[in-house]
Amino acid sequence: MRKIKKQKIYLLALLLPFILFVIGFEIGPLAAMIKNSFYADDGIQVTINQYLTIFKSDFYMKAIQNSLVISLISAVISVITAVIAAYSITKFSQKIQNRLLMITNMTSNFEGIPLSFSYIILLGNNGLFTLLFAKMGLDVFADFNLYSWTGLILVYIYFQIPLAVMLIYPSYQGIKKQWKEASSLLGGSKFSFWHRIGIPVLLPSIVGTFSILFANAMGAYATAYALVGSNYNLLSLQIASLVASDVALKPQLGSAMGVLLAVTMIGALWFNEQMMRRIRRDLR
Amino acid sequence: MSYVTIDQVTKKYENQVVLNDISITLNKGEFATLLGQSGCGKSTLLRSIAGLEDVDAGRILIDGKDITNLSPRQREVGMVFQSYALFPNMNVFDNIAYGLKMKKVKNIKSKVAKMIEMVDLAGKEESYPHQLSGGQQQRVALARALVIEPKVLLLDEPLSALDAKIRKSLQKELKRIQKELNITTIFVTHDQEEAMTMSDRIFVMNKGNVVQSGSPTEIYTTPVNTFVANFIGNYNVFKMDTFRKLVRSTELKGDEVAFRPEVLKLLPIGEESQDLQENWRLKGIIKDVSMTGNILRYEVESEDFSFHVDDLHHRGAIFDQGTHIQIILPKKECLFL
Repeated sequence: MRKIKKQKIYLLALLLPFILFVIGFEIGPLAAMIKNSFYADDGIQVTINQYLTIFKSDFYMKAIQNSLVISLISAVISVITAVIAAYSITKFSQKIQNRLLMITNMTSNFEGIPLSFSYIILLGNNGLFTLLFAKMGLDVFADFNLYSWTGLILVYIYFQIPLAVMLIYPSYQGIKKQWKEASSLLGGSKFSFWHRIGIPVLLPSIVGTFSILFANAMGAYATAYALVGSNYNLLSLQIASLVASDVALKPQLGSAMGVLLAVTMIGALWFNEQMMRRIRRDLR
Repeated sequence: MSYVTIDQVTKKYENQVVLNDISITLNKGEFATLLGQSGCGKSTLLRSIAGLEDVDAGRILIDGKDITNLSPRQREVGMVFQSYALFPNMNVFDNIAYGLKMKKVKNIKSKVAKMIEMVDLAGKEESYPHQLSGGQQQRVALARALVIEPKVLLLDEPLSALDAKIRKSLQKELKRIQKELNITTIFVTHDQEEAMTMSDRIFVMNKGNVVQSGSPTEIYTTPVNTFVANFIGNYNVFKMDTFRKLVRSTELKGDEVAFRPEVLKLLPIGEESQDLQENWRLKGIIKDVSMTGNILRYEVESEDFSFHVDDLHHRGAIFDQGTHIQIILPKKECLFL
């Protein structure tokens, strides 16, 4: 008994740096953000005015809406693409699978400012492909503007898909070959297998991935900033300009918006969880 | 007329022959077992019948219809897997109802209910696979395969993952249900005891060939070669020239001799021997004794030859290790192969 206790103490001691890290750099700032959001601009008076300001401002509400829409669209498109892409990856030989995963892994880390610049270089107003196609007389990109809503979504999707593939791919290993065989022997088509068994079994990981993608897009800052600067009204860009800009520093208002950002993410998680429980009754 | 016909079926994986020109016929309602060690081709043959594997040559017919090139869903066969393969996101009812829904059958509810009763799972309709024991899961799998009223039931080592006691009881139940529905059944196993208790007919397979087929009694008492003898009855097998030295007889013919461990009798030295016209008598020493419940298994050595002797476990009549004994071997029990 005593030995076990001693061991436990050692283990806890090993955990200590991690616990301190989490408190200092995650829970601490979060608590500070929540606290700050309930102060007036002077930082002394306690008030809920910051929230009222946001809810009353069409500008800020638009930022929230824009962020929600771009996150939803990019997450939905990425998840659907990734479900199909990850499945096709599982159909290759192990060697090719490993290589594809390596590429996916690499591209999933390719985001932020470098990604935006790559896009600008290739598809911007004076981008390589834009000019090339124009010279060739093809007007595929004539109506395309990278620094727009479509451009932004394209770039978001680009960094979301590899991440989604990485997250969904392992769950295909959980789909047993015998389920497919049993389904076909019972008269089921491929479609009925995926519709009634495959997708429902993958659902927890699809839903989990969707939540991560949604949060990822909601919080994405550098990519958007590098691409559209402050021209585009997004929640993350607004928060940044309130806490770090040279013009109008309003950290309390920024905190309140940060809290709202967190709430939308938690809301998305909760909603996904509910949806999943409705479909996967066995997981209750 | 035969109900299932496997006609010269051959299957190769990259030049390795897995099924070598196999021909088998089964009658309606027959319980047939494919018996063999892993890698002998028995599962491949079963999966070929199910349509889960293509064959390279030959034909498969069920009820007079050539199904060789049909997809699994068109073959009207039911299959139970070793790993149960239940759909984890569906409860017992939905798992069993799946095939009926796919075939758009009417009266799904009553058909499923009847099946659930047959496999003795009433009250478990709403349970999910992960809430059931292995034995219960396999009952669901059986019900799911049977509810679509297949022409042939295929069982791929369905009991191998279960513990001994449940396996025994499920063996009986499987046999009962099979008789009740009079469904033609092909059962795959590597367990000779299981094959013996369940089957009307056994096909012993080795390296892609059917080496012997027959009733359990035929297979057990008259194995056609040493492979079957070793595999089925744990036979003692000797090369003929060594055996001739052992029994000091020069008249014996054949290449090898085989006899089952339970036909040998052990007697204490000095005890009156049995008729020497019908028996060989050898002198030996007990090298090892082990007990498997009701059976005592001796390893006996006689003139540098060692073999197994099985004896029923009578209280107090155990020969200790190192005891010198007489071994009585009835001549008529020896198979000359």
